[in-house]
Amino acid sequence: MPTQLGKRYVCEACQTEVLCNKPGQGGLSCCDQEMKLKEAKPLPSSD
Amino acid sequence: MNTANFLGIPASIFPEQEILVFEDVRLTYGAALARVRRLAAALAALGVGRGDPVAALDTNSHRYVETYYATATLGAVFVPLNYRAKIPELRHMLATARVRVVVVGARYRSALASLLPELPDVRHVVAFDTAPNGGSTIEDLIAGADAERQETEIDESDTTILMYTSGTTALPKGVLLTHHDFTTYVCGTVELADGTPRGTALVCVPLYHIAGATAVMTTLFAGRTLVLMRQFDAATWLRLVERERVTHAFLVPTMVKQLLDAPELGTRDLSSLQSLAYGGAAMPLSVVRRAIETFPPTVGFVNAFGQTETTSTLTILGPEDHRLTGSEAEVEAKLRRLTSIGRPLPDVELKVVDDSGTELPPGAVGEIVVRTPRVMKGYAGDAGASGVDDDGWLHTRDMGWIDDAGYAFLAGRKDDMIIRGGENIAPAEIEATLQLHPAVDEAAVVGLADVEWGQRVAAAVALRPGAHATAEELIEFCRTRLASFKKPDVVRFFSCLPKNPLGKILRRDIRAALTADTRGDR
Repeated sequence: MPTQLGKRYVCEACQTEVLCNKPGQGGLSCCDQEMKLKEAKPLPSSD
Repeated sequence: MNTANFLGIPASIFPEQEILVFEDVRLTYGAALARVRRLAAALAALGVGRGDPVAALDTNSHRYVETYYATATLGAVFVPLNYRAKIPELRHMLATARVRVVVVGARYRSALASLLPELPDVRHVVAFDTAPNGGSTIEDLIAGADAERQETEIDESDTTILMYTSGTTALPKGVLLTHHDFTTYVCGTVELADGTPRGTALVCVPLYHIAGATAVMTTLFAGRTLVLMRQFDAATWLRLVERERVTHAFLVPTMVKQLLDAPELGTRDLSSLQSLAYGGAAMPLSVVRRAIETFPPTVGFVNAFGQTETTSTLTILGPEDHRLTGSEAEVEAKLRRLTSIGRPLPDVELKVVDDSGTELPPGAVGEIVVRTPRVMKGYAGDAGASGVDDDGWLHTRDMGWIDDAGYAFLAGRKDDMIIRGGENIAPAEIEATLQLHPAVDEAAVVGLADVEWGQRVAAAVALRPGAHATAEELIEFCRTRLASFKKPDVVRFFSCLPKNPLGKILRRDIRAALTADTRGDR
């Protein structure tokens, strides 16, 4: 799955999180599995 | 990651985007980043390196923000100083932080100069604006830098900001906040800029306050235009919201009240406002209610509760809880909930415990303890233990309770609890009741020493302009709504309650005034 600008990806095995600052066609993997797109924040923030 | 990346990453993606506005200065990401990196190079040339404390003493400006990011770029420690601090407090902060470089505004130069002979660690003083006698300014340093400095490799546990608490109870304590603390907060609160419109944030709280520091970081990281105010004043705030089409803002309760009383309020277009967050001190119910009724209905109000020690916000009362719609009973329930600090953020665990650390059931008052990955590293120097127990719970010294729906309520500081004849009384409960009286603008309740009861309940009340109420009437009002032992024994009227600059009520001053005033009562 292509990576998306500004999105965070998390490894469900080791919890490593990466932040994409330049998107591309390649996917991300960690611990021999695909990293998952991290969901946006569900709550309003104070900032 | 190094917090300097909160600017560096989005700036490398969107260098042309306008991101920082201060008075007549408008900077793109690219321009701001270039200035920060040149300033970092110049500070490095002055000998600033990883772990060296660099203090800032001035009101808000783009240069203040740039100085923070330049300091972070070097892995140095930024020490934002309260510009309203008295000389002994400034001496305490500069000495305990062992500051090497001070960047100072013209207004505070003489105060700093009087302290320098006692501060052998200070090697350089740089001016934010103008420098007398050939001294260096920030602009001199930026212009004279020989290169742009890239971010230094840091350890996430390195301190990036040493921030002093407001010191309403004792000398300010230096809170050590790390790159990890801020990274957790910023990445957990906003998404990185992605080129889509993210609005405009107006930051008017001082940048030495945790709410100011985190607002700058989240705003720049998210690609939201940051509009800075040197200092808050209601007329300018309203003008800026209209001119810059501000979407997000944070205010302390005192500021909200000043806005509601400002004659310009009805003349400005506030339709761009989406989110109005408030915090930093307890919000009087009468003020938030007026705000909800006065601001455009499209504004989402957010009550944020947090501490410097937890890198800002712990709980939030969101926009839905501020919409006073529904049946009479539903509105009544929402009004009660408006005195709540809301529910914990996803990265915060919160519970209420008794003195032995046992968790209390809903409704019972105890100390609020929290666990979050962004609790400070500790206090600087010998300011005492961090208050974190063996299981990682930070004891906030704020008393409170949780309702059946998981909403938390504050009941005052642990040290402010009143014990009358063996009964524990939370000042906040009585204050909330007094504020339900239509004549009451603000109320603060303290315990006064009493031979018979140990302590007796005393209320300081400020009435709304033009409103009238007697002490007896207010005591009776409380008696019919509270357990009898909680009703105030004494009510005294003030034209306004004494507060610190962020709007926190100074209970020590109220207690002293009431003690002196009621000496002949018994």
